[in-house]
Amino acid sequence: MMAMRRAHTISSSVWHALVAAYPLILLAAVWEAAARLGYVRPVFLPPLSTVIAQFVPLARAGDLVEPVLISLYRTAAGLAIAIVIGIVVGFFMARVRFVRWLLDPLIAFSFPSPKVAFLPVFILWFGIDHLSKIVLVAFTCVFPFIVAAYAGATTVPTNQLWAARAMGTGNLGLLWRVILPASLPSLMSGVRVGVPYALVSTFTAEMIAGGGGLGGEMILAQRYFETPTVFVYLLIMLATGYLIDFGVLRLRDYVLRWHEG
Amino acid sequence: MNTVSITLLQQFSQILPFALFLVAWQGVAKSGLIDPTFLPSVGAVASALVDLGANKSFYTELAVTFGRSLGGLALGAAVGIPIGAGMAVSPAINGFFGPLVKATYSLPKTALIPLLILWLGIGSASNMVAVMFSTLLPFVVYTYHGIAGVPQILVWSARAMGVNERRLLWKVLLPASQHAILTGLRIALGFSFVIAIAAEMIAAHTGIGKLMFIYGESGSYDYMFAAVTAIMILAYIADRITVEVSNHLMRWDDIENRLG
Repeated sequence: MMAMRRAHTISSSVWHALVAAYPLILLAAVWEAAARLGYVRPVFLPPLSTVIAQFVPLARAGDLVEPVLISLYRTAAGLAIAIVIGIVVGFFMARVRFVRWLLDPLIAFSFPSPKVAFLPVFILWFGIDHLSKIVLVAFTCVFPFIVAAYAGATTVPTNQLWAARAMGTGNLGLLWRVILPASLPSLMSGVRVGVPYALVSTFTAEMIAGGGGLGGEMILAQRYFETPTVFVYLLIMLATGYLIDFGVLRLRDYVLRWHEG
Repeated sequence: MNTVSITLLQQFSQILPFALFLVAWQGVAKSGLIDPTFLPSVGAVASALVDLGANKSFYTELAVTFGRSLGGLALGAAVGIPIGAGMAVSPAINGFFGPLVKATYSLPKTALIPLLILWLGIGSASNMVAVMFSTLLPFVVYTYHGIAGVPQILVWSARAMGVNERRLLWKVLLPASQHAILTGLRIALGFSFVIAIAAEMIAAHTGIGKLMFIYGESGSYDYMFAAVTAIMILAYIADRITVEVSNHLMRWDDIENRLG
């Protein structure tokens, strides 16, 4: 009886997973069939199985892990710069009226602009290699972080600031021990917004300027009409985006475990 | 002080930071610390901007880029809003598109550009389809949440008054989710410029993104900076127009729902 019930729950959870994934399975099946039956030329759409098989030679040639690491390095470096600058600028805007007056109009003006337009400028300043891409990532992501840090810092109740002051907390202590923890929920939302921006900027900069990484390898494969390779990198980009978003959610749960709601 | 001079003072105080920024730029450019080829002076960029402003072909390139981004945006809205609305009202549609949205949500959309170039060639078609795909998700997600968030009591009241399904959608669900859809539009507008310009920088024969690279490669850096400035100004104006139009459309709604 127990075994049967267990078998039943397993089969029902498998069934649920199938129902949840059926559009993806259907899509994969239609893709495979359309390509196998010759409705589309393989140079435009190779069968899914060919794409999956393409992972093996790419992995053997060392063309899988290294581009991922290069792209992740650029993304992480740009994000780190954006987080540090964003937090400092956001907190100063919240605390110092002059800084807010000076930067608020400039940020409001720059926020909606397509940051990728600055890539030619950054290439001129920082060269064609890593640095111009890292700076583009930082420049793209710094605005959401400034806004998140500013919003977080302005939500700290004045009573808490007074209380900390009354207990002899200095300026730095106020920032580190009161304002930063209180801004964490807002900052984590900023991270969730900023991370996809960082990935897109990295891949885009690599496609435009070359120099390896997933974007660079992908555009190279496209130029040589190696369509299965293009799809391999596309799938890796999809998986990277998905895993990083999952990681950010986990990180948020961990960092904010003391925070209600 | 009367209200006019207060408003003037407020506007002046908002413009002053830009003036300070330009002064700082000019100071750095003239100080000789940085090679003038790397940082043209404000005057050089301004005169390049004026020169571009008098140049008809510059407007042609701008029109090409904006045509691609806004055309792709319109396609994204035309496909995304019905999908989002369908997902909100029908479990079957939600069951089909829900997993697809979840699976593609974290895909960096520029990843599709090489593939689209392969399929549609270099040009406006591949550019607009790339913009469409990138603007699709904001429209789907915001429309879905907008309609799913419509208070049930509105739907029941309308049904009780004998409103049929078609009128329910047009007269109740869509107006009640207008605010969410317009927020999605503002986000999608930002994406549309990024993708259109990025696609032009990756591969194109025309458009402002291509033009900027031509200026960069030929060493006309003052013109390159002028083109970046022009894009920033136009993107800002487009964003403000979207906000103003949204607020005008939403003038019947609560004041706290206005966009910033």
